Amino acid sequence: MSAVVTETESVTTAGPAASRPRPHRRRRAIGADAIALAFSVVWIFPVYWMLITAFKPRSDVMTATPEFLPFHPTVENFVSAITRTNFLLNLRNSVVVVGVAIVFAMLIALFASAALSRFRFRGRRTIMVLILAVQMLPGAALLIPQFLIFNDLGLLNRYIGLILAYVASVLPFSIWSLRGFFVTIPVEVEEAAMVDGAGTWTILWRVLFPLVVPGMISTSIFGFITAWNEYILAYTFMKDTTMYTLPIWLVSFRVPNQPVDFGGQMAASVLFSLPVVVFFLLIQRHLVTGMSAGAVKG
Amino acid sequence: MSTSTAIVVAGEGVVAAAPRGRRPRAPRRFRMQSRLAPLWLLSPAGIVISALIVAPIVFLIFTSFTDFDQRTLFTGEYEGVGLEQYARIFADPRFWQSALLTLLFTAALVAGSLVIGLGVAHLMTKLGTTMRYVVTIVLIFAWGMPNVASAQVWNWLFQPGYGVVNWMLAQLRVFGDTTSLSWWNSPALALLNIWMLVVWQAVPFIALTTYAAQTQIDGALVEAARIDGAGEWRIYFSVILTQLKPTILLITVLSIIWDFNVFNQIWLTTQGGPENATATLGVWAYLTAFNQFRIGTGAAIAVVTTAMLTIVSGFYIRSLLRSGEDL
Repeated sequence: MSAVVTETESVTTAGPAASRPRPHRRRRAIGADAIALAFSVVWIFPVYWMLITAFKPRSDVMTATPEFLPFHPTVENFVSAITRTNFLLNLRNSVVVVGVAIVFAMLIALFASAALSRFRFRGRRTIMVLILAVQMLPGAALLIPQFLIFNDLGLLNRYIGLILAYVASVLPFSIWSLRGFFVTIPVEVEEAAMVDGAGTWTILWRVLFPLVVPGMISTSIFGFITAWNEYILAYTFMKDTTMYTLPIWLVSFRVPNQPVDFGGQMAASVLFSLPVVVFFLLIQRHLVTGMSAGAVKG
Repeated sequence: MSTSTAIVVAGEGVVAAAPRGRRPRAPRRFRMQSRLAPLWLLSPAGIVISALIVAPIVFLIFTSFTDFDQRTLFTGEYEGVGLEQYARIFADPRFWQSALLTLLFTAALVAGSLVIGLGVAHLMTKLGTTMRYVVTIVLIFAWGMPNVASAQVWNWLFQPGYGVVNWMLAQLRVFGDTTSLSWWNSPALALLNIWMLVVWQAVPFIALTTYAAQTQIDGALVEAARIDGAGEWRIYFSVILTQLKPTILLITVLSIIWDFNVFNQIWLTTQGGPENATATLGVWAYLTAFNQFRIGTGAAIAVVTTAMLTIVSGFYIRSLLRSGEDL
């Protein structure tokens, strides 16, 4: 790799940069715009189709020739999805399970990541690698034994079982993520506090923890998205419809006593995806700049 | 674990790597009195990870040596059967079929999303501000959609009878009347369908990450190559791709891990059917353990799957350590 870099770099010194002829560039830009437009249309189409199906009246959803514009927009699908199903109950289940799991995971991860970033001790490297390794386990590998153990302990079909499973699935990456924020804090901050006579715990609580609050926010958003979207654990653990979380509600969506209702299903998908997509748009900048900065370093 | 977890993890892991270069030295050790502080700070996480991850994995391995089944769930009775479960799955042609499917499908997913992702990233460098913004927003929407919801949307897009994709294919008049085409009844079409679903959601991460990396490339390199008479394609393949190599390597390894673990998109469209044609190892392990309740066998499949994946993740971790990651 480094050899290649030097080679290309020596090329750089070969000559001064010349300006390209303008018309050529413009023509290519128009071509690129056209391709980009085509790509965007294709890529956004599933989302668009979900949205307009959700806003179509029942009679317009299944037509021999699909209607590509919502000619008779209506919110009836949303109303029936919310009022005629267990939506509110299942929403509450999701909020409770995900909320409690994230709070626990973040608190534990905060302590652990502080230890792994601001202290040096034997075995630290091993612990970091272990944490990285466990989060790459295939889903079934944890699902099967967790199901058996929770079944034995009577934790299935209850909040606590799913909460514990979500803490386990969110914790490893939360530790890595928060650690990334801890290591950006300069040592000098700590040293200054130490000179002022602050002890280890004071430094942690009064100096370091407040500085990683932004990191806690973005990490908990990531954790929220993961747990909010999680399907197969919830599907396997929760057997009563009253204990379903929203992903299972969405998959088993059916207004009682009616044939498959794609309008309702798409409305349900919109309701379910909305918070996640909004969060994604909010943290988008952070996502990409953060990743690129590291990736280029290689 | 879902894809978005992994995305985040990787992203943040990389973030962690970034600013370290700027810092002149490692954090100083706290004073002697705080020797025990890291132990206290780590113990809650240690307890949780041991109890909820390490212990279950040990239990999984243990289960794979027993005849754990539906009866055991109620009575708690089981017997050790040694390597019998492993002997059984290795003798089952469906296992080899599923393993081969998993490898090939993973390869197809990784290749597809990488090629499209890199293409879109390169395209984005050629765009004006407005168009680039449009593409970015489109990518974020596709990326942000929970895969449970996008699987529902896919079921509707390709629905036999009224699915809009079937209608559009019919309008092309190339494939005949495809209106009532059932994508999930034919192995090849079912795989193609799931492939599109996964690639649709995998491209945004790859495109945005690669685009960000590509904007960091020194423009002088490209100019110099152009002066030396290199054409656009030559510049892309010889200069830009070379510069992007570390990024691409990282993305490839992560994609392999994620695509190997794809579960929801298969489960929520075909449930592994038709006739196990889309049952990758993860799906097959789940079907064996929770539909047929042959939990011991399912555990053995999960152990084998984990072992296969460990080879790839081991490579990822090693390259992360080598890239100067100061753990």
